[in-house]
Amino acid sequence: METFGVVVIGAGPGGYPAAIRAAQLGASVALVEREFLGGTCLNYGCIPSKALIHTSDLYAQMKSSGSLGLKTELASFDYSAMAERKNQVIRNLRSGVKQLLAANGVKVFEGTASFENRKRIVVNSSAGRTAIGAEKTILATGATSSMPGFLPRHPRVVESRAFLELKSAPKRALVLGGGVIGCEFACMLAQLGAQVTVVEILEDILAFLDADVRRELRRQMEKTLGVRILTGMSLENITADQHAVQGTAGGAALEADLLLAALGRKPVTQDLQLENAGLKTNQHGFIEVDAYGATQVSTIYAIGDVTGGPQLAHAATSQGLVAAENACKRPRRKNEKLIPYCVFTSPEVGAVGLTEQDAAKQGKEVKTGKFNFGALGKALAIGHSSGFVKWIADAKTEQLLGAQAIGVQATDLIAEATTAIRAELTATELARTIHCHPTLSEAWMEAADVLLGEPIHTIARKRG
Amino acid sequence: MVRPITMPKLGQSEEVGTLVRWRKKVGDSVAKGDILFEIETDKAILEVESFFEGTLLKTIIQEGATVPINTTVGFVGDPGEAIPEAAPQTRVDVSAPPAVGAALVAAQPFPSSVLSQQGKAPATVQEQPQGLPLRGRTTGIAPSQPQGPPLPGIFRISPRAARLARESAISPAPIVGTGPLGRIVERDVKNYLESKGYFELRITPAAKRLAARENIDILSLDGGPGRITVTRVERAISEKPQAMSRMRQTIASRLTESFTTTPHFFVTVALDMTELANFRSELKAQGASYTVTDFILKAVALSLVEFPVVNSTTDGKNVRWHSKVHLGLAVNLDQGLVVPVIRDAEELSLAELHDAATELIAKARTGKLTPDEMGGSTFTISNMGMMDIENFTAIINPGESAILAVSSTLKQPVVRGDQIVARDIMKMTLSSDHRIIDGATAARFANAIKQKLEEITLWKRLA
Repeated sequence: METFGVVVIGAGPGGYPAAIRAAQLGASVALVEREFLGGTCLNYGCIPSKALIHTSDLYAQMKSSGSLGLKTELASFDYSAMAERKNQVIRNLRSGVKQLLAANGVKVFEGTASFENRKRIVVNSSAGRTAIGAEKTILATGATSSMPGFLPRHPRVVESRAFLELKSAPKRALVLGGGVIGCEFACMLAQLGAQVTVVEILEDILAFLDADVRRELRRQMEKTLGVRILTGMSLENITADQHAVQGTAGGAALEADLLLAALGRKPVTQDLQLENAGLKTNQHGFIEVDAYGATQVSTIYAIGDVTGGPQLAHAATSQGLVAAENACKRPRRKNEKLIPYCVFTSPEVGAVGLTEQDAAKQGKEVKTGKFNFGALGKALAIGHSSGFVKWIADAKTEQLLGAQAIGVQATDLIAEATTAIRAELTATELARTIHCHPTLSEAWMEAADVLLGEPIHTIARKRG
Repeated sequence: MVRPITMPKLGQSEEVGTLVRWRKKVGDSVAKGDILFEIETDKAILEVESFFEGTLLKTIIQEGATVPINTTVGFVGDPGEAIPEAAPQTRVDVSAPPAVGAALVAAQPFPSSVLSQQGKAPATVQEQPQGLPLRGRTTGIAPSQPQGPPLPGIFRISPRAARLARESAISPAPIVGTGPLGRIVERDVKNYLESKGYFELRITPAAKRLAARENIDILSLDGGPGRITVTRVERAISEKPQAMSRMRQTIASRLTESFTTTPHFFVTVALDMTELANFRSELKAQGASYTVTDFILKAVALSLVEFPVVNSTTDGKNVRWHSKVHLGLAVNLDQGLVVPVIRDAEELSLAELHDAATELIAKARTGKLTPDEMGGSTFTISNMGMMDIENFTAIINPGESAILAVSSTLKQPVVRGDQIVARDIMKMTLSSDHRIIDGATAARFANAIKQKLEEITLWKRLA
């Protein structure tokens, strides 16, 4: 039996970087994956959806670019070609990951891993059973879409993975769930001309964002893209047949060609036989970890979606690196707490740290500074003048604690805010930092000025 | 009509009161019986009700201030009415720290760190606005003075040096000044920062801002070589010594006095409460609900009449015999312990004791006890029966010579005849002042209580 210093189970955006980092630190490393290198993110999540959304976004911009002086009346799209390009992107990235693993000397096992005991893992595949020894193990098995029992099992009812494998786009779509995945696909389909209805049981879509950001997103999704958004309602009486999928929400009858279920994701643990390693999942099925990423068994770490938490690829990557380092060396470090969010809707949304609504719940006094893209030269020049960025800072020390951005490139813009917050900068430092002109990032500087009550490009609110 | 509201006199021994919190804001309407403000005495926090109706027009006394009884603290009247010129208030701050501590604190912008460096952790630390301290005086620090004799007791620092210290979030107190008369100049601060390795520290901007704001000396932070983050400064803020409430300070001084000046000794007895428990259930079934405490109160009151020495007080030279039994009953509250007193307990029946205890405990829980209801006890009972403990000892209340600590009633194996049987056993420990009570007396007294509580025929007569 071959024994490794570190065995990583799951080659997603958390698992494969963990394997590489452990190898960099001198450990002998095995990586077990039962499907594709890159996991959900690369194969049927972040990357493919962004490949499709990029095309739909470009198409929507072309259709509305008359005001820019372009003539694009004949613009049209070929969904199967879009899907093929998406597949090409996946293949490129997948082979890139394979090369990285090989270059770092990580041994990849194809198959499904399960514990025989804490130090012995069996990999089952069509080729047979292979037992490997593991000094330390990092569980990175991820999550999979929830498909509750009330949904009919029918080709017209899909979750995100099946949706991304469609060869054609539906003309009418029902999206169940107004979270990140639901809203992103709703925008994409609407940009491609589909009639889209989103049904969300909570009072608003993307409830983790502040009300002003949600209001702006909802306004644009409804007004610009024509998405119908039904909130505070559940979709009931769902039926699917060869002609359509149907349901009712708040008394209204809804019909579409396709129902996309975006109802959250559940952890993948069923084949691991955790009990053989002395591990248990919590009541929601997640593997709980401490601040250092360790499970109840000190030689076994867990990272990413299978541990609960924000279920974001970049969070999993960071946790993977922390777990690999903690498995290989001392002193250990804690998982990063500051995790930025990105939502690839139209317009895009980025968020990080404390929100105003959380501050209110915690009774924490904050100051905010908001700057509209409508007052920013670059935003006007590129024809994307809607949206804004917003800082949330400690009322007493002006320490930057949170930020949200909505508008063009908001998902890239949030990186500067994340760096600033992690470095514990105050609004003054941010306001004094020179930003290139003309760029969208100037909005952060201007918003910091607004927070400090000394804005240049907007009229200061009277301080009372 | 405008009426002044005054600091009420709530007890015979109270000369001053501390206004802890205004419960009404200026402009709020006030009805008769509304709570206007809270005051803190040595013994408790009390609510003060309004005798008048109208609007709170003005508050003169700030929260946290201590003023003599009958001082005007604010005015109630109709909106728009003119408020009479108030005479200047003489403010007495009884909670001020001792003189040396006060002078030190006033001299430096970073009181806690400076004091802890000198090994003198103060019980009381006053907040100082930034900048102000620089004009203060010090008695503790005497830097060497290379350029001329320093004037004793003056802390000298140049404005630029003070500013650098403030912006660096460090205390200038330990810095040796090289300017005229030992004045600290900017160069001294720079050299000091250099020598302390300040410029190698990685301090986040927000951490430095917070430390400067909250008077935390960056150099006093512990936590190893890593980045100095807001979390570390927040930890230092939360660990700053803070003044205890007046109530807590009173508890501290009284208990210290008692425990260090009274030679305590302890006797423990185990009581079989099985039959009394059964009798209690019987009474309850008949509609008469008594607590275990009620029976203990009665048994103690009867025993104290038999043993007057336990109901007396000594200062080591004189002894004072109390002709009445005033029973203190310790009640635990979130903010500390209060001891309401049942007066003339030897004259009260079991039912009357029950009513008195019930009323006083309810008042204690709602903060409605007056100071007079909390003083003058001749013996105290501390019942921790509900806390699931086997046994404990209590510290004698100053002014008394003994205290009874009552523990939980626990099912225990007991030998009766030649059989092991399960009985409800409760332990009681009597703490006595050995200057006046001998061991044998304490033992007899404890057993007198035990015999009464175990004697059911007695209770059948009394209940």
